[in-house]
Amino acid sequence: MHGWTGRLLRIDLKDREITEESLDEKLLAEYVGGRGLGSKIIYDEVDPGIDPLGPDNKFIVAVGPLTRTKAPTSGRMSVSTKSPLTGTIFDSNAGGFWGPSFKGAGYDAIIIENQASKPVYIRIDEEGVKIKEAQDVWGKGIKDSVSYLKEKEGGQYQNMVIGPAGENLVKIASVSVNGHRSLGRGGVGAILGSKNLKAITVSGNKKPSIYDKDKFEFVNYEANKQIKASNLTSRAMPTFGTSMLVNLVNEAGAFPTRNFQETQFESASSISGEAMSEKILEKNTACYNCSIRCARRTKTQNQSGHGPEYETVGLMGSNLGIGDIEAIAEINYMCNDLGLDTISTGGTISCLMEMAEKNIIDYDISFGEEKRVKDLLTKIACREGIGDELAEGSRRFAASYGAQEYAMHVKGLELPAYDPRGLKGRGLGYATSNRGACHLRGNMLGPELLGVPKMVDRFNYKGKSGLLINQQNFVAIVDSLVVCQFTTFAIDEEFFARIFSAVTGIKKSQQDLLDMGEKIWNLERIFNINAGFNKDDDYLPKRFLEETGSGPASDQIFEQEEMLQEYYSSRGWDENGIPTRKKLRELDLEDVDIDV
Amino acid sequence: MYEQIKQIGRDLFLQNCVSSHAGNISIRIGDKILITRTGAMIHNLKDRDIIETSLHEEDSGIVMASSELKVHRKIFQETTAMAIVHAHPVNAVVVSMDRDEIIPLDSEGSYLLHKVPVVATEHTVGAEEVKEVMPEMLKEYKIVMLRGHGSFAIGQMLEEAYQWTSSLEASCEMINIMDSTNRDFKEYRSETEHYQDW
Repeated sequence: MHGWTGRLLRIDLKDREITEESLDEKLLAEYVGGRGLGSKIIYDEVDPGIDPLGPDNKFIVAVGPLTRTKAPTSGRMSVSTKSPLTGTIFDSNAGGFWGPSFKGAGYDAIIIENQASKPVYIRIDEEGVKIKEAQDVWGKGIKDSVSYLKEKEGGQYQNMVIGPAGENLVKIASVSVNGHRSLGRGGVGAILGSKNLKAITVSGNKKPSIYDKDKFEFVNYEANKQIKASNLTSRAMPTFGTSMLVNLVNEAGAFPTRNFQETQFESASSISGEAMSEKILEKNTACYNCSIRCARRTKTQNQSGHGPEYETVGLMGSNLGIGDIEAIAEINYMCNDLGLDTISTGGTISCLMEMAEKNIIDYDISFGEEKRVKDLLTKIACREGIGDELAEGSRRFAASYGAQEYAMHVKGLELPAYDPRGLKGRGLGYATSNRGACHLRGNMLGPELLGVPKMVDRFNYKGKSGLLINQQNFVAIVDSLVVCQFTTFAIDEEFFARIFSAVTGIKKSQQDLLDMGEKIWNLERIFNINAGFNKDDDYLPKRFLEETGSGPASDQIFEQEEMLQEYYSSRGWDENGIPTRKKLRELDLEDVDIDV
Repeated sequence: MYEQIKQIGRDLFLQNCVSSHAGNISIRIGDKILITRTGAMIHNLKDRDIIETSLHEEDSGIVMASSELKVHRKIFQETTAMAIVHAHPVNAVVVSMDRDEIIPLDSEGSYLLHKVPVVATEHTVGAEEVKEVMPEMLKEYKIVMLRGHGSFAIGQMLEEAYQWTSSLEASCEMINIMDSTNRDFKEYRSETEHYQDW
């Protein structure tokens, strides 16, 4: 077997049983790794109706055939589970160095089952696997936890760890990778918390086997040429990080402001990538084997740390009415240490702010009050006072006050920092994403704002479903290979097909990859339908359908129904969004059961 | 969409990629296709020259649609392309006569296309054979030449399919100039020995 190791670990935390299984090459050739393999295992082994925080949920960690190779951005890893925040199938992936070390230890994936009776962590290296006590580190923040593990196990180990938010089953808790990259969304940190699993620490140096080294070197050479030639990946992202988008999105009238009540922020330039570079940037950094180097090491007057990313600037900045980049950076450092998803936490606090300003809740907070935001973060992570309510995410929080319309979410996942009234294809992507409102499920920002691969009219709502579907299927494969989606600003499926074939020796065309992505997408959709989701869950919040935006989007609403019907039809689904038998046959999924 | 089809039809003509009544363009919208009318003047398309027809089933649209409709339909059915440009780019057709693959010499063509395969069929215009061979090739390449006839290019957007066509024609014009002036080619790129394996 080339590319993959063919080895899977199954770890039962209750019985402390560790077994090793072989992965079939046919399965890997079909589902690749990362998200695809994770989704297949969740579909096969997890009942869609289970309680996500109960013992029956599983936590899959997977890398892909390109991990630890010289392929661009080959350092990512992916986790899959049933989300406690959304109730959907859920995957999340992160960069850093954990993935290559795990592959170097000789594995493609882990399935973590059941719950430990007391806090533990797992250590994996080339010598084997150990489950170790974590009582001493339970309750500590991310920074102290990473220091503890480094001291205990050695500097060569890479850590995936949860903070207090994950331990306290906060439904918007993240998992930290290497202390500064995040498996951010969907409350995956709470899954580890529910299993009493503080961390997974890995070390390994084994190199994957490459089927055709010459061809692999050549395609890599060509791919890197494209990455270097693209202004986006070779200049804008290294210089400004993901916050290169702040001014662009704001000018487009798509920058979420004060809980998406407006779509332009008066202080956007103060929190832009340019402002960040001028005021707080220490240096840019990179994940394993990445030339893009979009990560930021930053310093405020009082603190230093990593980030913030664009999404955090949007959700913790403009959307909370905060126009001070230092304040946003410090909020970000706190979230990093507590193990909180900055998008969902920001979206939940903005919901509280609007409800407080409209006197729906008796709580003293207004937009722009950064100190109160900081106070809330600890309360949320430790489930103290109102923090206990906010820890449930915006959907449940707002619903408990009968104020659902103030929660900006799809399927329970808070919207990222692009307003769908200014970017219609992006909005359709939020509506139809299998994990809820997500900017990483079909990159419509490329064609709608950046002109990649070509520019389309961002306000037009007709004829976009085909383009979005191809993007969704494509990123399903990118997430399965597991490489960084930022590479897709420069290289397309043509390159990935050739890299995949050279590494694994299994010939796949670019069309094959898109077909495989479509199968993964449909499998995830079926899991969600079987978990009780239906067409009603494919809708954006009422605000976007009824209220116009501001600036260039001042006459725009989101034309939900027209776009959704076109999307279902283009997907080969019926008018309720259920894959037809014909489509399932085409995808070789005719044996799946759909429980409508 | 109508305006974009008209504009690209005109641009194909201006770049010598089609003669007055040749070539065809299509866009997929869900289960429908917009395709140029058979015999339409590609550089001077009107709304009535753009025909809507089903992707899968015969309907009255087929009366007016391009004679290459069956090839376009099959490409849309077998791939995830959203747009197709079929053109007769003069220089590319000339180059296709004496080789099985076109490898651009210029850096822009190399960068965008790497290699363009050439396939041959006995019948070329509206032919069943083309319907069978072209979708398979386009699963792996974004543009393919049919020897002695023309190019089929696909894209997620029409502009992409047009770009591949235009770029191929420019590269082939340079190949023809090099050949006709008997110039020696000095390799300036690395790894080009691998282009034929692309």
